Amino acid sequence: MKTEWINPFVESVYSLCSTMLSCGVERGQLGLAKGQTAAGGDITALIGLSGMARGMVALSFPAGTARAMVGRLLSIGEEEIDESVSDGVAELVNIVAGSAKAKFSNGNGSDIISLGLPTVIHGGSQIIGCPSHSTWLDVPFSSDLGPFSLRITFELEPTKGGN
Amino acid sequence: MKALVVDDSAVMRKVMIGALARAGIEDVAQAADGQEAVAACNADEFNLVLLDWNMPNMLGIDALKAIRANGKKVPVIMVTTEAEKSRVIEALKAGANNYVIKPFDPAAIVTKIQETLAKAS
Repeated sequence: MKTEWINPFVESVYSLCSTMLSCGVERGQLGLAKGQTAAGGDITALIGLSGMARGMVALSFPAGTARAMVGRLLSIGEEEIDESVSDGVAELVNIVAGSAKAKFSNGNGSDIISLGLPTVIHGGSQIIGCPSHSTWLDVPFSSDLGPFSLRITFELEPTKGGN
Repeated sequence: MKALVVDDSAVMRKVMIGALARAGIEDVAQAADGQEAVAACNADEFNLVLLDWNMPNMLGIDALKAIRANGKKVPVIMVTTEAEKSRVIEALKAGANNYVIKPFDPAAIVTKIQETLAKAS
């Protein structure tokens, strides 16, 4: 995995924060991990990538950040948020991955990357399993609504038209 | 004035219901996929449809084609992460009246709703 492949996803996070979440955000230093990784945050939203790219995108949040972001998304107070936290963070990762997907387009209308359905994990000690040779890129963010992190692992498959 | 919001995410449906309320539309029905959207449009008359693209059972683009094939002229705004120009053109050719790319500015979607309704009236 090339580190520059994370850029469309980072740009999507910035776009999400500046539009639907109306919050300032700053990225931290890129980290790397191999194979399995702990979910990290209290709530992690994952979405699988398939097609010419195969891998996974994850957004991990402390509970407070997740509640604040979903509250901002829905324009409601955090005290009003119930089960919509899971649905909300699932939509956040869907927007980040979906928005980034367009930047990997081959220009002829066919998708290089297809997205699966988002999955939400509760509990920071849960292990996200990926093939042992996988490299995770981990970008921590600080925002007005609290810290969170973006993690990505994927490979483009030349046999399917990736490069 | 009655609108239909179509998205498989309940949270996104709430976001769009909020945008419709800011545009002055309080009477809103919901559908969670394309099949439900087509059925709703066959069963009821709407002044506006907000339609996601990627949904289970039936994609929004296929629902749009089905709605038009059924002779429905209801204004449709696609609201989607599908940002590629070819996708926008495909949706407009299929009969979409407007196109909003997620993530969107909350004020911008209200403007798009108002613009679309003004053109349709």
